[in-house]
Amino acid sequence: MLTALITVFAATEEIAKAGKSIGLGVGGGLGAVGAGVGIGIIFGKVIEAITRQPEMRDEITSIQWLGFALTEACFFYGLVAGLLAAFIV
Amino acid sequence: MSTKRKLLIALGVYVLGLVILVILTGVHGTRNTSFEPQNEFKLDTWVDLGAFSINKAVMYLVIAATLTSVSMIYIARRMQQRPNRVQTAVEVLYRLMRENITAGNMDEKMAARWFPFIGALFLFILFSNLIGYIPLPTNTEHEITVFGVTIPSFSLYAATANLSIPLVLAFVVFVSYTFEGVRVKGPIGYLKSLIPAGVHGPMAGGIFVLEIISNFMRLMSLSIRLFANILAGHLIILFMAGALAVLLGVAWLGWITLPFGIALFAFEVGLVAALQAFIFATLTAIYLGGAVAENH
Repeated sequence: MLTALITVFAATEEIAKAGKSIGLGVGGGLGAVGAGVGIGIIFGKVIEAITRQPEMRDEITSIQWLGFALTEACFFYGLVAGLLAAFIV
Repeated sequence: MSTKRKLLIALGVYVLGLVILVILTGVHGTRNTSFEPQNEFKLDTWVDLGAFSINKAVMYLVIAATLTSVSMIYIARRMQQRPNRVQTAVEVLYRLMRENITAGNMDEKMAARWFPFIGALFLFILFSNLIGYIPLPTNTEHEITVFGVTIPSFSLYAATANLSIPLVLAFVVFVSYTFEGVRVKGPIGYLKSLIPAGVHGPMAGGIFVLEIISNFMRLMSLSIRLFANILAGHLIILFMAGALAVLLGVAWLGWITLPFGIALFAFEVGLVAALQAFIFATLTAIYLGGAVAENH
C-alpha cells in the first residue's frame, strides 16, 4: 500500500515536472516563433518601403524600431508566462 | 595579415580549444546541484529598514538616478559654443527626445510642458539599463578573496531587471496621462472620449468596458516589456557566458557558448538598452497625446 502510494506520488511529481517543462518550452518556443515571423515581416516591409521612397528613410526607421520593440516584447510575454509556469506555479 | 587569415586563425583556436577541453575533461559531466542560477537575481536585504530596506535593486536605482542627474547637470553647466564629443552626443539625444519622441506625438504647447518628464524618463531608463551591463561587485551570494580582502563577487544586475521599478514608472505614466486627459476634458468628458467617435447605443457600453480594460493593460504591457527584456538579456548572458557549463558540469559547452555570450552582450548594450528606453518614452508620449486628442 505504502510503496504503491509512493510510486503514484513519484509519478505525479514526474508528471508535474513534465508539465512545467512543456509550459516553459511552449511559452518560450512558440513565443519565439511568433515574434520571429513578426520581426521578419517588419524588416521586410521596411526594406520595401525604403526602396520605394528613399527620401522617407528617417521617418520609416524610427517607426521600424517601435514596431520591432513592440513585436519583440510579445516574445517576452510568452517567455515570462513560461518561466512562471516552470518556476513559480 | 588579411581578414580571411585572421578569421581562419580564430576558428582554429576555437576548434582547438574545444578539442583540448574535451580531451582534458571528457564529453560527459555531472549535474551540479549546489549552483542555483536563480540566486544570481536574489535580493538580499543589506540594511534592514522595514519597508524601506536597502538591497541590490535599491542600490542600482540610486546609482542610476544620481548618475543621470549629476552627469546631465554637469554637461548642461559647461556647454560651449564649439561642442566637444560628449556634448555632441548629448545634443543628439536631446534632439531625439525633443523632436522625435515628444513633439512627434503631441502639439507644440503640450510638448513644451511634458518634455522634461519624458526626457527624464528616457534618460533614467537608459542609464539604468546601461549600468546594468557593467559588472559591479554586488553579488553577496558568493564572495571572493583578493589578497586577503573578502569582496562580493561581480555580477550584472539592473534596477529595471526587477519588476517593481518598471511597474512604478508605468504607474506614474498612467496617472499622468489620465490626469492630463481629465484636466483638458473634465472627468466626464475624458470618460466619454474613451468611446471612439461614431459608436452609439448599446455597443458603446461594451466598447467602453474594453477601453477601460485596455487602459489598465497598458500598465502591464509597459512594465513587463521593459522588465522582461532586461531580465531575459541578463539571463541569456549569464547562461551563455558560463552558467550553463557550470550547471551541467560540462567544460566544453562553456567554450562553445562563450562567443555567443559576447555577441549577445554587444547586442544588448548596443541595441536593446537604448531601444527599450526609446520605446518606453515614445509610448508615454503617445498615451499623453492620445489622452488629450479630440477623437481617438
